[in-house]
Amino acid sequence: MAVERKKGIKQDSGRGTRGQCSRCGTQNQCNKCHREPAIYLHYSDVHLCRGHFIEMFEKRFRTTVRQLQLVKKGERVVVALSGGKDSTVLMHLLAGLKKDLPFELIALTIDEGISGYRAPTISVAKHEAKKLGVRHVVLSFKREAGKTLDTLLKKNKSASPCSYCGVIRRHLLNLGARKLQADKIAFGHNLDDICQTIFMNIIRNEPLRLVRFGEPLIEDEAFVPRIRPLMRAPEREIAVYAMLKGIQIDFRECPYAYSAFRQDVRRKINELEELYPGTKQRIFNSFVEMQKWMRKGLGGEKFFIAHCSKCGEPTAGKNSKENPGECMYCRMVGQIRGKVKQF
Amino acid sequence: MRGNTLELQINNQKKKKIRFLGDVSALLLKLKMRREEVVVKVNGKIVPDDFKIGNNDKVEVIQVVFGG
Repeated sequence: MAVERKKGIKQDSGRGTRGQCSRCGTQNQCNKCHREPAIYLHYSDVHLCRGHFIEMFEKRFRTTVRQLQLVKKGERVVVALSGGKDSTVLMHLLAGLKKDLPFELIALTIDEGISGYRAPTISVAKHEAKKLGVRHVVLSFKREAGKTLDTLLKKNKSASPCSYCGVIRRHLLNLGARKLQADKIAFGHNLDDICQTIFMNIIRNEPLRLVRFGEPLIEDEAFVPRIRPLMRAPEREIAVYAMLKGIQIDFRECPYAYSAFRQDVRRKINELEELYPGTKQRIFNSFVEMQKWMRKGLGGEKFFIAHCSKCGEPTAGKNSKENPGECMYCRMVGQIRGKVKQF
Repeated sequence: MRGNTLELQINNQKKKKIRFLGDVSALLLKLKMRREEVVVKVNGKIVPDDFKIGNNDKVEVIQVVFGG
């Protein structure tokens, strides 16, 4: 990939030039205590041992929660728990936070019905929630929408797995969280996910999605606000944290992930991150600054949210207040049950 | 051929012996894997990617970043 070197952006040679201890100049030791390092952070040019990496990781999480006031005393937070590394680590961090900030934590898992993939991750979710003493609720595509994702995709070969899965899963998460009377849903979205979403929205020319992304600009009784406390944590660091803490993680890829546009964007961003360490943080920080300016243009206006004419759930689709139509979930479920033709 | 002999395992696949001289970063380059997407363990311990791999080391490369 031909990438020009930009002024002020450090390029990583990939090997040889590694961080030294700021105090004694020795290499390949934790920059804080000289113990054996577990990780080298290219973007900040430091080696960290197990203990200091865990400390840094948890401090970053708590700083994000505090600065953005993501969780407040006495709130009921539902963590969207898939059993993958991000959501499992998030549940652990939130459970740890509870010791200092009293709030209620419930885990909610959506079983899409993906054979050979979801069952082991649900088993991890159950095990980890039990270990932490967190109440765990599971909703399934089959029970709520009538069919598993596998069956749905077998019957409709042209359907995009991620689109179907995303729409139905988000619908069930909001519904489930509302039934649990949650104040917020916590998602395990990490820095990599956020950067990918920013790029995807730019490539798809969806500036409004960018403006409303991140903060709860939507005020609606039926819509449970979303928080992303891991938004500043790179995905790889979440995996390292889970492994160092001995959190049970099932590292396997969703069998439908091959079709995702997100995969291509992920590869490109990771290529840039390896060439120019800190790229992800800079994309994120630039986005936060740009978003402030874009929101100023809105003059503090909140986003209008429509309600589906069929199920009454909030929808960010193309419905208008004057002509509320069916939400994407109802159209998809209608299609699954054969009541609606291909849209 | 110069280099150390190491036992390599990628994502729970079958272990294999290879000859290699260098650090984790160079190994990932050789395997065409991205350091942003994997965690490497040497003799059961997570190591940074400038860790020099020694003779008879057991190296495990785990893909931890997926899409979807």
